[in-house]
Amino acid sequence: MPGWRRVAGDPALLVAIVVLWALLALFVIYPLAELLRRAFVDEGRLTLAPLLEALADESHRAAFFNSLLLATSVGGLGTALGFLFAFTAVRGGLPRHWLTVLDAAALLPLVSPPFTTSISIIFSFGPKGFISHGLLGLANVSPYGFWSTTLAETLTYFPIAYLTLRPILAAIDPNLEEMAFSLGGSRWRIFRTVTLPLAVPGFANAFLLLFAASLADFATPLILAGNSFPVLPTQAFLQITGMFDFKGGAILSLVLLVPAAAVFLLQRYWVGRRAYVTVTGKVGQRSRTRALAPWAGVLLVAGCFLVAATIVYFYALLLFASLVVAFGANNSFTLSHYQVIFTEGLPAIRDTLIIAAIGMPLGGFYGVLVGYLIARKNFPGRHAMELVAMINYALPGTIVGIAYLIAFNDPPLALTGGALIIVACYVFRYSPTGIRATVALLQQIDRSLEEASSSLGAGSSETFRRVTLPLIAPAFFAGLGVVFIRSMTAISATIFLVSISWTLITVRILENMTEMALGPAAAFSVFVIVVVYLVVAGLSAVLVRLRAPAAGAAARSFLGG
Amino acid sequence: MRIGHRLVAIAALWLAGLGTAQAADPVNVYTIWPENYARPMFQEFEKQTGIKVNFLRFSSGEALARVIAEKNNPRIDVLFGGPVETFAAGIKEGIFEPYKSPSFAKLPVRFKQADGQWTAIADDPLVFMTNAAFLKANNLKPPASWDDLLNPAYKNMLQMADARTSGTAVTRIFSVLEVNGRDEDKAFAYLKKLRQNVQVYTKSGGGGTLPVGLGQAGGGIFFIVDALETKAKGYDVVVSFPKEGIGSSAEAIALIKGAKNPEAAKKLIDFATSPAMQSKLAENKVNFVPANPEVQTEPSLAEVLKGAKIIPIDDEYAGANRKRIVERWVKEVLPAQ
Repeated sequence: MPGWRRVAGDPALLVAIVVLWALLALFVIYPLAELLRRAFVDEGRLTLAPLLEALADESHRAAFFNSLLLATSVGGLGTALGFLFAFTAVRGGLPRHWLTVLDAAALLPLVSPPFTTSISIIFSFGPKGFISHGLLGLANVSPYGFWSTTLAETLTYFPIAYLTLRPILAAIDPNLEEMAFSLGGSRWRIFRTVTLPLAVPGFANAFLLLFAASLADFATPLILAGNSFPVLPTQAFLQITGMFDFKGGAILSLVLLVPAAAVFLLQRYWVGRRAYVTVTGKVGQRSRTRALAPWAGVLLVAGCFLVAATIVYFYALLLFASLVVAFGANNSFTLSHYQVIFTEGLPAIRDTLIIAAIGMPLGGFYGVLVGYLIARKNFPGRHAMELVAMINYALPGTIVGIAYLIAFNDPPLALTGGALIIVACYVFRYSPTGIRATVALLQQIDRSLEEASSSLGAGSSETFRRVTLPLIAPAFFAGLGVVFIRSMTAISATIFLVSISWTLITVRILENMTEMALGPAAAFSVFVIVVVYLVVAGLSAVLVRLRAPAAGAAARSFLGG
Repeated sequence: MRIGHRLVAIAALWLAGLGTAQAADPVNVYTIWPENYARPMFQEFEKQTGIKVNFLRFSSGEALARVIAEKNNPRIDVLFGGPVETFAAGIKEGIFEPYKSPSFAKLPVRFKQADGQWTAIADDPLVFMTNAAFLKANNLKPPASWDDLLNPAYKNMLQMADARTSGTAVTRIFSVLEVNGRDEDKAFAYLKKLRQNVQVYTKSGGGGTLPVGLGQAGGGIFFIVDALETKAKGYDVVVSFPKEGIGSSAEAIALIKGAKNPEAAKKLIDFATSPAMQSKLAENKVNFVPANPEVQTEPSLAEVLKGAKIIPIDDEYAGANRKRIVERWVKEVLPAQ
């Protein structure tokens, strides 16, 4: 076993591998195994009866197909919208500062707590909505169901498609289009036969990312789907919290696992391999492309600004709701909701920030370490480690939350009720972005740098510390950013893990909304958005200072996953 | 493995340290009462006894699911507030420890479980709540009968709670059973008709009050405490009662089996079942009807209730049939549109 011998001869590597496997076993494999056991073992016997029972239930089957329908729609519409933004950004010829404005608006939904778009949609498109009733004069419109959920999720997740497609479109050499143009092709024909085919892998990738995001989304359907359009993540949640039926909830969430795993594997092993466009030569020296007719350019820019304006309008509504006494009934100005969140809500704010602050460095370091081992070290079980590290990321949050709740309640591993379980949930669920960023970065850095260090006598830990670490700092900070943003905004998994001593802002927002305390819910949301923007801006400043070649890409990958 | 475990153990100790920076022997509570009702009560308790209350709010279904999940290693000492049918379901799961507070003997039979598994701290009748502008626009009178809610004018304009998560909803369904003489088929036929007018079933009992206040919905069925709170916030809503009668649910408190701070927990139960807490309800504009006979119902609340036919929900009947009825509701009523 030459692999093992090499590992055994390098104590630092051995320790790292053993520790990582121990953590992965504890926080990824064990909870999932517990969940499976809970679902399929009945009084010591393996049984599929509960699963078949769940599948026979008509409302569960409907929820399954609804979930797929919703995910497909959000994937398609979101990719189209993301392409609109990406194409406009790359080919639209917009001045730089306008692009920044567009970027800021597009990213707003990604850094927001859940429900924000949902609340605004209800107030805009409900029976007394500002738009449906106030502007269009429609009466008795229902804001619940397939269309509103699709709209909310599309607006929330299309930035992922934008961030995925933009670098790919940017990497398509405009000279290709230029050449086709001078060969006499019409603009539409060039777009159809040159630009689009080059972007196809990007499309597939964006679609699958959105599909997975929608499949896992629990917050939006909880508010907007209503009762005629049940989806699986909310059904699983209601099964557990409402019917006290852990087995049923576990089974429903496992049904969700099938499409989630299929999409993840497809994305990773089929599209992921193709999603690169070869770049040759310098790309800095571009003149404005002629490939876009002026009227088409105007149309694209107008489309983007319309979407951006919709998003800004939704958030303005939120800001307004946080500043008035009782939204809709008494619109006089008040700061009392902010006073509430900074007094009664202070424990939630404090807990969330502490948890985010602990999770951030752990997640960043874990991501870089795993990424480094996977990309640079050859040891037995490398691919298995890569796959296992991705599991919690690929699974919908509801599954992870339920699995943790089941696995960690009883001694000896009684972690529920503490902060550690929430931190662990975030680290193992959201660090894979950092892992991927590290792997991508290392693939661009020549191995010979590290080999030189080794041949000069440095051990693997010293090489890692003094050579590799400075090179992959951007990925480290990207990993930090993602874990921080998710710690501030995620809810689907952690709603099962909050406790008397540790609660979270997002859970408070949901609670406020169900208690009709819209003001504090809005104020909490505004607070989260401000904090996240500040931290992301700070991390971006650090990345710019690092001036690392791939800093830009790493910064983009902040939100890409 | 050993290194991994040690790391985890160190991290756990460190994090546990972060969580325990509080005075000795607090009492840990899941409250089903919304925070704005529960918080002033807990503050009063802290003032009177010096015992700190750590609490987290869940709707009744969520709270019960939590306590059941944590049965082998309880995280709380007291389950506070919430309709008795939730507590009746909890008895079946064996999660409570019987305890009789000094007020126990004085309470009417309806307000206590014979063994002391739970004790009532308040009474909470359901009401119809409608949006005044909606009534006017549709030339409607405030609904005064269950059948009034079947009027097509309400199509897609009612909001009420989902029976899977909310005790309000379960009390509502048992009200319909009671006015139909516990004839389940008749009751479900009504519920299916009512379904046609329901815009959405909300997760929480009070979830629909704001939409009704804003006119996003025309009306709904809520606990009186939530309805009067909506009115107090300035929304123009009308409270009415059906002539056939409507259910009322006692709100209860219970000691958790295996509670880690039983003494502090018992003090909280003593406090909550006595005038010490219930006399503070009106003062804090919390419109529950006191359960303790020594506390007077606040005059303006009594005025609202005057002439209303209130049916107490039989907790034994409700507890025994809750699960089955809710499952039938999910299967038959939810998809009936």
